Amino acid sequence: MTELPETQLLVIGGGSTGAGVAWDAARRGLHVTLVDRGDLATGTTGRFHGLLHSGGRYAVKDPGSARECAGENVILRRIAAGCIEDTGGLFVTTPADDPGYADRFLAGAAVAGMPVEEIPVAEALRREPLLNPRISRAIAVQDGSIDCWKTVWACVRGARAYGAQILPYHEVLSIRLEQGAVVGASLRDNVAGAVVEIRAQCILNAAGPWTGRIAKMAGCALGVIPGKGVMVAMNHRLVNTVINRCNMPGDGDIIVPAHTVCVIGTTDVPVDDPDQIAPTAAEVAKMMAAGEVLVPGFSRARALRAWAGARPLIPKGAAPAGEVRDTREVTRSHSVVKHAGVDGVEHFITITGGKFTTFRLMAEDAVDAVCADLKVSARCSTAEAPLPDSEDQRFFSLGSHQKEMEEHVGDDPLICECELVTRGALRSAASGRPGQQLDDLRRSLRLGMGPCQGGFCSFRAAGLLHHEGYYDRSQTNDALAAFVEERWRGQRMVLWGQQLRQYRLDSWIFQGILDLEHLPA
Amino acid sequence: MKTEVLMIGAGTSGLCAAVRLAEAGVKVIVIATGAGSLGLAPATLDILGYAPELVLDPMGALPAFVSEHPEHPYALVGLERLRSAVAWFQATAAELGYQGGLERNRLLSTALGGLRPSALLPDSMTAGAMASGRRVLIASIRGFRDFYPQLVAENLASSEMGVDASWVELDWSGDATDLVPTRLWRQLREPAVRHQLASMLRPSMDGVEAVGLPAILGRTESQAVRHDLEEQLGRPVFEIPTLPPSLPGLRLFDLLRGALRRAGGRLILGSTAAEFRADGRRVLAVRASEENRHDEYEAGAFVLATGGMGAGGIEVDASRQAREPVFDLPLSGVPGEAEDWVDTEYFREQPFDRAGVRVDGSMRPVDAAGEAIFDNLFVVGAELAGAEPWREKSGEGISLVTALRAAEAILEEGR
Repeated sequence: MTELPETQLLVIGGGSTGAGVAWDAARRGLHVTLVDRGDLATGTTGRFHGLLHSGGRYAVKDPGSARECAGENVILRRIAAGCIEDTGGLFVTTPADDPGYADRFLAGAAVAGMPVEEIPVAEALRREPLLNPRISRAIAVQDGSIDCWKTVWACVRGARAYGAQILPYHEVLSIRLEQGAVVGASLRDNVAGAVVEIRAQCILNAAGPWTGRIAKMAGCALGVIPGKGVMVAMNHRLVNTVINRCNMPGDGDIIVPAHTVCVIGTTDVPVDDPDQIAPTAAEVAKMMAAGEVLVPGFSRARALRAWAGARPLIPKGAAPAGEVRDTREVTRSHSVVKHAGVDGVEHFITITGGKFTTFRLMAEDAVDAVCADLKVSARCSTAEAPLPDSEDQRFFSLGSHQKEMEEHVGDDPLICECELVTRGALRSAASGRPGQQLDDLRRSLRLGMGPCQGGFCSFRAAGLLHHEGYYDRSQTNDALAAFVEERWRGQRMVLWGQQLRQYRLDSWIFQGILDLEHLPA
Repeated sequence: MKTEVLMIGAGTSGLCAAVRLAEAGVKVIVIATGAGSLGLAPATLDILGYAPELVLDPMGALPAFVSEHPEHPYALVGLERLRSAVAWFQATAAELGYQGGLERNRLLSTALGGLRPSALLPDSMTAGAMASGRRVLIASIRGFRDFYPQLVAENLASSEMGVDASWVELDWSGDATDLVPTRLWRQLREPAVRHQLASMLRPSMDGVEAVGLPAILGRTESQAVRHDLEEQLGRPVFEIPTLPPSLPGLRLFDLLRGALRRAGGRLILGSTAAEFRADGRRVLAVRASEENRHDEYEAGAFVLATGGMGAGGIEVDASRQAREPVFDLPLSGVPGEAEDWVDTEYFREQPFDRAGVRVDGSMRPVDAAGEAIFDNLFVVGAELAGAEPWREKSGEGISLVTALRAAEAILEEGR
């Protein structure tokens, strides 16, 4: 049985919370090991719409959360600028919205210390020509569009620089307890297939909607309710600003521009299993209808992909799971649960709830609890420290990648034309982390995330990775088939219009020309 | 404009039907929105490759296949017409040297090195028919991003068949912008370039029977290019189809377009059929739009060869309402609820795969009672219901036999 080096803090969960914790704790001098059963940011973090919250959504219902978001928004703009596109946001009153809400919104924003500015409707329509021309009010806010993978990878790179060990594809099988205290865990290396042990002085459970499952391994009960949310990515940036309905929070009330697409979301349905959350046709139809209210003609635009994420929600006062019907009623603030006090299990702490925008603050609170547990005296410094690649504090802009790429087009051909992924970029991503799936490369490069959804580039990428020796023959065959299946999962509920034509063209390529189904084992 | 037959669509089925009619002395105009599907397809004549198991003898497998699938275009046309359709195609496309037959599928390497069954191959691919014990060299130009010879060779060598495949990459000069198929094939027209490639290939020839290259051997003069390489290497050379644009497909398009023109037919690209006029059961005219103008085409007979869902011949909106946009013909095989359109897995048959226009044995579209809706409208090719050509490997076969059946029905009417 292989034993990994003993660690002070074992962090379970490689999403924004876990990555933020690794970054914070490593900076405080703790020895940190981060594990995730898959690639980083494949849970909730990788499945939301990419909103950098202004706090507007909570201005009326939950001013505490609004204040929290507004404060963290400013901090993230300072430390993670390279991950953020400064799109700004608008809250607009459509004919379907309560006209009185806008005034309550402005009042709530003032209480929360959230910067807002009401602008003339004509100005809103000038900025966003596709917006519903019948909106009656428009309020500008500090929403932004944040790249979750860039952010998570920046945090772990930063953590690594301070000595943290980052272990994707290491799944927690069991948590070891000795005399009522957590002492370590058994992990399965999902790439190599082996089981390894690790001893830890403290374990932080940051597994998002799976925190309940992990807590149970340590003999603790945690009433986490996974709340399923469906998103649809549209093929074009129909808007360049984050657009919100100026109304009580509801389904499909936000459209976020993200890189070359825009994303509409979302829904809020309690589910039992955060691993079984495929979007239904009815949910997708709901999103298209909701989009139509903000952008007339939305439901006739080309939808690229539909997926779902599960948010982790912990009701304050811990209502048992299954009793809450609309999880939107549950608070959005995060919770740090010290299981020593609650369940009598020492050195085991859970951080759950929250939202992406407050991940840094969640990490700060969690690591404060960890330090108290380990009797380490060290203050958080993440609010002042730029993440790797955000040192120059320049926001990400969509055109910057293209400019850079145009300079090298002669010697570095494009593998993925939709997303401007070059051969060189594919090579360095592959060599950076051996043993990756094609899907992991998709997340770091946006390979196959454009209109063709991998129709052309997946073959090229697989061939190139085989050529360069990253995959052997049968790994290449499997990787390509797995990639195609994964792309299918997102497309199956948006097969209409131009995307249906794309899908049919892609099936002629994968089945007709390449006959991918019938490769030698 | 007035003509005898208006063909809507310039894919395989549209062009084959048009050539057949034009060569019989009928005045044909072909209109198409795009340039047809031929530039996307490998241009082998696939009759039946999987049913769902691998088919090695199409003629032997077809009777059971059509009785299992009575709605399939092959069942409607009748197997007895298959042979004459194939013979017609071979004669019409003689310049491209299609060889093979209905009794035995050849197994061709794909661009991944799998083996794909096909009944008739153009002569640029015949040396690539794989068999046990063959020794082939798979070659490409380093940096050409649409072909990976090592992967092809390794997969071929791992097949149950036992192909002895080696591979080589040629370090041919030229930067990344040169290495796209349309530029490469132009380069290959230069004797000096071919000479250079042949000398780079020669050191790898030992023990090799034939050389496989990606399908970049020219759009025009492709045979001359290939023969020249074969002479210099002393071995047969074969093409392996890869991602679009497909040069073998474009050659077939050029051939059919030329045959149409020589027979007096017209091809108008960039024209989209939109509406029609009818008098009872006779279609009188179709209105088409071309950039900023409209044209009305009056004809005695009309053929809809618009390619199904992949080509815009059937439009589906966000609520999964499917529509044939020109004549609003009834469609069969369209699932009712959006949830019911798809399976969870990609490589399975999807419930909507066989959706399309239902026709009778003469290719006339029918209503729910099975009665022809119009006397002089015919539907052919991928627009038809009842088939899954990309999975069955039957696309060109269906296009060909249904196109010729419709052409014959039109000629019969004329007499």
